[in-house]
Amino acid sequence: MRTFRRRTAIQSMLAAASAPFQLVRAWAQTATFPGKRASALHDLAAIVLPESLGRKATDAIADRFAKWVQEYKAGAELEPGYGNPRLRFQPSSPAPLYLTQLEALGRLAPGARRSLVEAALAEAKVAELPPVPNGQHVATDLMSFYFFSSAANDLCYRAAVRKYECRGLGGSENPPPRLS
Amino acid sequence: MPRFESDVCIIGAGISAAMLAEKLAELKPGLQITIVEAGKSLFDFENRMHYRQRYLEYGENPWPDDLIEDQTAKDIISRTMAVGGQALHWGGTTNRFSEEDLRLRSLYGLAVDWPLSYEELERYYCEAERRLGVSGEPSPLAEDKRSEPYPMPAMTLSHNMRQLRAWAEKTGIPFWSTPQAKNTVRYGGRNECLRCNTCAVCPTGARYSPDFTFKQLLAAKKITLHDQTLIRKLVPHDTGSTIVRAEGVNRRQPGQPAEYAARLFVVAAGYVWSSHLLLLSRGSRYPNGLANSSGLVGRYMNGHSFVSAQAEMDAKIYAGMNERHGLISRQYLRCRPDQPYRRHDLRIWESNFGRQPRLRSGDGRLLLGEDLLADWRQRAARGAALLRAYYDVHPARESSLTLDEAARNRWGDPLPKIEHRFDEATQARLGATREQILNIFRLMARANNGKLLETSFSNYLDHPGGGCRMGEDPTSSVCDSWGKTHDHENLYVAGAPTTPTAGCTNGTLTFVALTLRAADRIARQLGSAA
Repeated sequence: MRTFRRRTAIQSMLAAASAPFQLVRAWAQTATFPGKRASALHDLAAIVLPESLGRKATDAIADRFAKWVQEYKAGAELEPGYGNPRLRFQPSSPAPLYLTQLEALGRLAPGARRSLVEAALAEAKVAELPPVPNGQHVATDLMSFYFFSSAANDLCYRAAVRKYECRGLGGSENPPPRLS
Repeated sequence: MPRFESDVCIIGAGISAAMLAEKLAELKPGLQITIVEAGKSLFDFENRMHYRQRYLEYGENPWPDDLIEDQTAKDIISRTMAVGGQALHWGGTTNRFSEEDLRLRSLYGLAVDWPLSYEELERYYCEAERRLGVSGEPSPLAEDKRSEPYPMPAMTLSHNMRQLRAWAEKTGIPFWSTPQAKNTVRYGGRNECLRCNTCAVCPTGARYSPDFTFKQLLAAKKITLHDQTLIRKLVPHDTGSTIVRAEGVNRRQPGQPAEYAARLFVVAAGYVWSSHLLLLSRGSRYPNGLANSSGLVGRYMNGHSFVSAQAEMDAKIYAGMNERHGLISRQYLRCRPDQPYRRHDLRIWESNFGRQPRLRSGDGRLLLGEDLLADWRQRAARGAALLRAYYDVHPARESSLTLDEAARNRWGDPLPKIEHRFDEATQARLGATREQILNIFRLMARANNGKLLETSFSNYLDHPGGGCRMGEDPTSSVCDSWGKTHDHENLYVAGAPTTPTAGCTNGTLTFVALTLRAADRIARQLGSAA
């Protein structure tokens, strides 16, 4: 019992001593995301986003997602909700987890990656796309980032709805212009 | 202790306080008005586009710092405590109550009559619409007569709304554009709506927000604003019935008390904190709190319940065209006295229910890339609508806000606890009211090969008020129809807390109209005192 306690105490001290380093590491991984994993992120985007967008477009979406990660603010106050409001704060940066997941994906041949994504999502028990990326898995968060965007909404309806743009009232009485 | 003196001290800086201060400053130029607010001034309008973006992309609070962690209540529906109050992030819906709402006792033998006529209130509805800047389309129903047109043309009915109106009106029920405090043209020095789809944080200033009024009043030096100052107690005269000062604490300098003396005090702290302050101000002469000889402070807490439904139908709806604007019908706001009492409004918004991108198909298959897009397109091919009806429920005396001695803020003050209770007549008709609404929804859903996908009942009361209800009899009410408390000649309550019942549609325009009417009386009282 005493040995266990001593070991626990030593582990706690080591953990406390290393905590600042872990924080710095997480901050650095967030600020430079995806670092060496840029090509893995691009490959992932090509798997989980619509192929019809073309590789150039899926690469660009992956890059915007990387910027989203870089500008993530852990600890930021979240929207409290209406009807049952509560104080909530943004959890720690998902960047370290994303990098680990991308590293695993990057080790595989392109043909095997889709299977791995499917297996990883099954293992992570991701049941649905969150409206905002929630740090569960880089694949679903990248999908959430894109599919809940104005651009994806337009793609779905094949029309320039421009859901989250400040568009003015003029012309809104008509169907939105069709996208070619 | 710092001591501040003024003619009028307004406690709370929400939409009622903004309207009251603006009108008093016009009626009585040179009047010294001090407004004391527990929350911060969030006057950084220039940052709202950025906040909106962070809200959309990260789910962050678009009103950062609008919450005070230890100043909340059980069963509160919004925690916002800042200059501007809950109307910082309101949807801007500005429906009027109907005449029936003010005559429940005399028409139906239910609840109580309000101590003022609808005709009287209607004048102030017009003024409230002018001051807030309301865009609307006149109701086609004769009972909804107006003495003035809306200040602005109605919000453009989007393609989606036109489709849904055509669908809904196949029932024979008329629907029209919901009036809103949103500029459809430039108005009051503010921009017109740009259809940003995020009215809870309007980045253009088209939706009225009380911070605009406070900034204008401050710039013109017509008010003094003390934010981050929590009033903890109102203190009555040692022997008389007047209020002599308000005692508070400066939250920026914890432990630093502040004292406010004034000829007249107005508690304009919303439906929670108004009753709470009066109860907190208990002392040896008033052991049950101020203005509480009737025992009704914190009683008859009201609000309305609602039934919601999601429907789909054959209609080409493009999700996101203008999600925050909808249709209304006031067809069921009236109820013949010889019929069973069931009153409610009817509302329609575009919906993306069941039309969001999803990760798994109905049979559990993982959807990626093109598969996901195809599944999404297939489900979005049919239109969808959110249906809602706010229905009239009446509070029991036991519908209460009390001091929760077990929950205290950092200064040791007990926090409020709200427990809504319906009166017996309301409980008796709940099932029939809900069934009537569901039948109307089912009727609507029959058109265009439609169907209801989901129905739900509210688990909280929306658009709440009460706690300091108005009336003519001091034994059954806290204040008169102008908000003047029966017990204290220089103490008023403004807005939502004074409502005896909550009607069956959004309350903010009514809260503002009552406050503007109170301003006339307060100005007269101050004039005669001078």
